[in-house]
Amino acid sequence: MTEAAAPIRTRGAAGTRWLGKLEGKISWILLGLAGLLLPLLDDSYIGTIATRAYIYWVLSAGLNLVVGYAGQIAIGWVSMLTLGAYTTAALAAGRVGPEWNSYLALLAGGAVGAVFGVVVGLPALRLRTFYFAMTTLGFATIVTQVALAWKDITGGGVGTPGPVFPWPFDPGWGFYYFCFILAALATWMTANIGSSRYGRALVAIRDAEVAAEASGIAKPKLLMLIFLLAGALGGVAGGLFSSLQSYITPDAFTFEMSVLFFIGILIGGRGSILGPLLGTIILTVLPEFAAPLVQWSTFLYAALLLVIVLVIPGGIADLLDYKNRRPLEQHREIVPRPELLPRVLDRPAAELLTLKNIALSFGGVRAIDGLDLEIRPGEVHGLIGPNGSGKTTTLNVISGYYAPQSGEVRLGGAVLPPSAAHLRANHRIARTFQTPRLIGGASVLDNVMIGGTIDGQGSFVESLVTLPRHRRDEAGLRAAAMLALQTVGLESLAAVRTDRLQHSELRFVEIARALMLRPACLLLDEPAAGLSTEEIRRLGALIKAISRAGTAVLLVEHHADLIFDICDHVTVLNLGKVLAAGTPAEIRSHREVVSAYLGA
Amino acid sequence: MFASIVSYGLAVGAVYALIGITYNVMFSASRVFSFTAGMLGMLGGVLGALFINKMGMNAVLALVAVLACGAVLGLVTEILTVRPVLKSIEQHLYVLSTLAFALMVQQVAAVEWGTEAQPFPVLIPIDPASLWGQIDQKFWLPVLACAVTIGGLEFLYRRTLIGRAFLAIAEDSYAARALGLPETRLRMASFALAGMIGALAGFTGAQMLLAYFGNQSILNFYGFVPVALGGMGSNRGALIGGLALGLFQQAANFLVGGIFAAVAVFVVFIIVLLLRPEGLAGAATARRV
Amino acid sequence: MPTSAPEPLLEVAGLSAGYGKIVVLRDVALTVGAGEAVALLGPNGAGKTTLLRAVSGLLPRTGQVKFAGRDMAGAGPGDTVRAGLVHVVEGHRVFTQLSVFDNLLLAGYGLPRPELTRQVEEALAFFPEIAAKRNDRAVTLSGGQQQMLAVAQGLVRRPKLLMLDEPSAGLSPVLVDRVLAAMVRLREAGTILLVEQLIEKALAASDRVYALARGSIVLQARTDEADLPNRLEHAYFGQDVSAPLAS
Repeated sequence: MTEAAAPIRTRGAAGTRWLGKLEGKISWILLGLAGLLLPLLDDSYIGTIATRAYIYWVLSAGLNLVVGYAGQIAIGWVSMLTLGAYTTAALAAGRVGPEWNSYLALLAGGAVGAVFGVVVGLPALRLRTFYFAMTTLGFATIVTQVALAWKDITGGGVGTPGPVFPWPFDPGWGFYYFCFILAALATWMTANIGSSRYGRALVAIRDAEVAAEASGIAKPKLLMLIFLLAGALGGVAGGLFSSLQSYITPDAFTFEMSVLFFIGILIGGRGSILGPLLGTIILTVLPEFAAPLVQWSTFLYAALLLVIVLVIPGGIADLLDYKNRRPLEQHREIVPRPELLPRVLDRPAAELLTLKNIALSFGGVRAIDGLDLEIRPGEVHGLIGPNGSGKTTTLNVISGYYAPQSGEVRLGGAVLPPSAAHLRANHRIARTFQTPRLIGGASVLDNVMIGGTIDGQGSFVESLVTLPRHRRDEAGLRAAAMLALQTVGLESLAAVRTDRLQHSELRFVEIARALMLRPACLLLDEPAAGLSTEEIRRLGALIKAISRAGTAVLLVEHHADLIFDICDHVTVLNLGKVLAAGTPAEIRSHREVVSAYLGA
Repeated sequence: MFASIVSYGLAVGAVYALIGITYNVMFSASRVFSFTAGMLGMLGGVLGALFINKMGMNAVLALVAVLACGAVLGLVTEILTVRPVLKSIEQHLYVLSTLAFALMVQQVAAVEWGTEAQPFPVLIPIDPASLWGQIDQKFWLPVLACAVTIGGLEFLYRRTLIGRAFLAIAEDSYAARALGLPETRLRMASFALAGMIGALAGFTGAQMLLAYFGNQSILNFYGFVPVALGGMGSNRGALIGGLALGLFQQAANFLVGGIFAAVAVFVVFIIVLLLRPEGLAGAATARRV
Repeated sequence: MPTSAPEPLLEVAGLSAGYGKIVVLRDVALTVGAGEAVALLGPNGAGKTTLLRAVSGLLPRTGQVKFAGRDMAGAGPGDTVRAGLVHVVEGHRVFTQLSVFDNLLLAGYGLPRPELTRQVEEALAFFPEIAAKRNDRAVTLSGGQQQMLAVAQGLVRRPKLLMLDEPSAGLSPVLVDRVLAAMVRLREAGTILLVEQLIEKALAASDRVYALARGSIVLQARTDEADLPNRLEHAYFGQDVSAPLAS
């Protein structure tokens, strides 16, 4: 990405971003002030409730990344609280060797939580949603059982005292401020991750996993980092909890608490920090206001969850999202600016993509039967054929979702590893999908920025505490994404929620996302489907310009007009084999092609 | 000791198998995994005790009433928590909606019925000294219920048109719709049927498991293990998985004690799932792209 | 066209349909008269399958569909089937774990049993090859036989109009001929709307033809008109043809 001219500022996106930042900040400032000034009320009952809310939020802030961002249904998370609480209490009380310093014991609680966070999270990589939810429930039960049985460490059913922190964080308002500071820290760190490329990658895995892979996002590593962080925060929260309770027994860690944490996040809304924070506070505080409610608290939580799922799946965050309730202009036109492409595609030498003797069968059907293909940089190569001829399958082999049973795919001279879709981004191979795969609940800009995830240099830890390299990454990604949006003509919609866009706009957003990779090779899967004639014409001009900027473009299409207008070279597939190949004019008059394509 | 492991293990295993079948019947009709299977089992016991002990019904009448309640709850589950979210693009909302409903019902049971486990009455007055009394009915009742259910389902699927309609919808709901099969009504019937099976499991198993609101969580998990191990939608797998689980659990109880038995079950469960996510008899996952 | 033409059996006007945000069909109109065999042709992605799904109620639609004089607004697939309009879907999707006979029984779900058995036998009479396998599970049938079973399913309700979506798709040439031979018999028995990719075979089996491309009807003609294959090719590739070309 060249450092050249600054991106053209448009009033729309820049103005909304400013407003968005301010809007967000106001809530945090108010909450922070409320927290700081609460002790002035000098009511220890309120102080205890508030402290408990902070502790629950420390755990929930981490769980929010797992449930709200990554979309993993981890219901039994009270297990982290239990683990952290008993670790801290046992170490501080000297049940394992000499008595530990309370702060060190707290850190140890966090470490144990981190380890088990990963342990609980590992199954998420292999199991379907419901199965994973069940394993977290099972794990929570196991932890409680072990707490009951391991009398030496945990005191068994009788329990064990929690640690007391020394001044200035001693019991009372001192401890209150300790928990407040940790809650604020947890909020800050998780908010940083949430708005970093890691947070966007998590949401991509949740809502558009296939597209996330194509953008180079590696699910296992990212999920493990998140489970580690969430486990650590849960463990720390557990240590604080054991101090607040001053004495813990296994039945203090109930299934109802798991439910509270989980539902607090969902009521707050996925993909948000403020929403789940408010949700957790509300659920913690609610039962305190009416004595009879305590008995019915879980019933209320569950009823709230049901209402949210059925009526407002987006939760509190959705309700607070005023920006996205402003009506959009009705008759919007997409006007791409191909002249910006040289700045977008500023990259080193172009490369040749070759397929040699690819064969792939599904069950007994030969989907691809000995295919040779050559896609040259600077050219648009069309791939057409009747349904079932193997066009999309070929695309999926090139982009690494299917491994061929024989043959190889090469870019430049290098062989591309067969089943490694998430590595294609490293080779600068980008693609779009037959049906647009975008994150409906995220903004257009965020969706495009996901395309550049692998360009980020900063590590997870740097994003956690917003070190300079993280900031540079973010600024660079943002600028590149705006440029890509300007190139496809959608910059005015940058801040809009993606599910509000028309279908044709979604197709162009996918192209903008693909451009973020500055692709050596661009694979387009029926990009014209559902577009009007004029939009197809503009799409064609854009695709042609992309190829002329040096990219090798493979275009799978049904639209005969588009193929014959812009392709330099056309290959016709039938029953998994090449039927004919040549210039559009040659193909157009090739008798066999016409028959096969029309079916005779 | 061996006899004890076998009798207790098979009995509780039969209950787990029935809950697994409950999950399967709901899944076949809708491709939805519902959290309400354990809830139905719990209510089988709690409502049964309520009808017999508090309201003085005889065993047969109570059974009928419990089955009816199960069917009604199954219908409510379908109408309230499954149908509204089936259309949504959001894939996993149904997990949450069924969870929410199950939790609500569990809390009502906890508040109205109480949180203490209460004994369940003996259902069939049999003289322990007689021939029939040799094996405690709390052991053979669940096994009998399991056998009857499996036999009943076989009959339903092979001999009745509605059973075959269930199989059709489970295999290919698009083709079923195109043929004009009343998809919604059939789904409702499936959920009502699942409700009855779950309630039966709880009713016949309650002499062992007692009438206890906490059974919901226990049955949710232990009733799910047979499904996970045996493959989704496979009743045969659920049967074998359930009985195996029951025996394994009891053996572990004897050998290493209750708490580590739970750990042992969980560890085996996780290992099997990680090695074969589709279960030991399940089918491979479909095309993603 | 004779002025005293009877009201068409199926009348579609202003039909638009799609999937989610993707609009596939725009303002489509067509008619099928009683006793006619009409072919619906078009390249991939044109919307042929979408059109059948919209008419039979499998997909939501805007626009008007009138069948046998009745307005089918809001009718789902169940209502449509009971009205006499049956859609045999693409891909010979039969219930593989059930027997041939059971597959046919399900096609008439809801009918009183004696009537149902009679109608199943009538449907089987069309396809003696699968009648011989009536108690075998559908999974043991070949692709062509499964396609015949799917069509037989469509016949169980004695439909007034049978819509067939690419019955020859994925079949070897020999099987294609067998299936299309059954079409000829079907044509004698009732009204058909046939979606096909194989132009020549489809033209041979029908009275009239519609060509669908890019979501709209681009050509309609009687199959005995001159120069039809040529005109179709032009229609597919985007040139507007409403009258025979001068060669």
